[in-house]
Amino acid sequence: MIFIAPSGSQQTEVAEPSVDIATDEVVDLQVPWVVIVWNDPINLMSYVSFVLQKLFGYSKAKADILMMDVHEKGRAVVSNGPREKAEIDVFRLHEHGLWATMQQDT
Amino acid sequence: MKRRKREGPVVARENDMFEITLSSDDRSTLLHFVDQLSEILAMGPDDVRLRRLFPTAYHENPEHDAEYQGYMRDELTQSRAASIAVVKEVLESTELITAGQLHAFMTVLNNLRLVLGTLLDVGEDDFEDDIDENDPAFGQWQLYGYLGWLLEWTISALSGEDN
Repeated sequence: MIFIAPSGSQQTEVAEPSVDIATDEVVDLQVPWVVIVWNDPINLMSYVSFVLQKLFGYSKAKADILMMDVHEKGRAVVSNGPREKAEIDVFRLHEHGLWATMQQDT
Repeated sequence: MKRRKREGPVVARENDMFEITLSSDDRSTLLHFVDQLSEILAMGPDDVRLRRLFPTAYHENPEHDAEYQGYMRDELTQSRAASIAVVKEVLESTELITAGQLHAFMTVLNNLRLVLGTLLDVGEDDFEDDIDENDPAFGQWQLYGYLGWLLEWTISALSGEDN
């Protein structure tokens, strides 16, 4: 089995994306949701750009800008809309192994 | 004299079809790793090695996330299993494949990289070329590099950049 941890290796703590925004219990249905892709040291830059083109129909130029934002700023908003649409977008990004989350736009 | 352009391991052919030109040894090796990925997936999404394959969706609301994971995780597992089934067929045959099949190949290669990268605890400044051959994880790093190389060629072919 190749997928076993090398001896003596230690997994670093997982830095889950965190955003310091107080969450209101009441969800405002009028406020749209945004889908965020977070930087990840494993996914290839070309892969992230290609997935954004494929899933959202973005031009290569637009996808490259978003991909560079993810790489340099740590995250980028890649789509937005009602909650149901955002959930589908997040699911499709997860299907492709991208680190995507969603939150209500502020 | 015309210099022949060197072809990569994934080549676009006529009628929107593609050819994977890997040797039978490479195909068997990849199949072996794809089977291992299936085994890990069968253990369930809570296995630490699958952390990157089943990420959080609502990073600021655990309740919403639990709800989301409740109805999406099985679907995500099934989707990955379906892609793996396609890739096994692709690797077991040398026939031309469609863009859809190559897309599944791409996602499974990426899944393998994500699992291996998680195990190797890859960081922003880690490169497979820097690993010493005496490192106990040298073989895993080599495979990680190989998967990245193959993934790059696959993306190029799907993007129409290889011809």
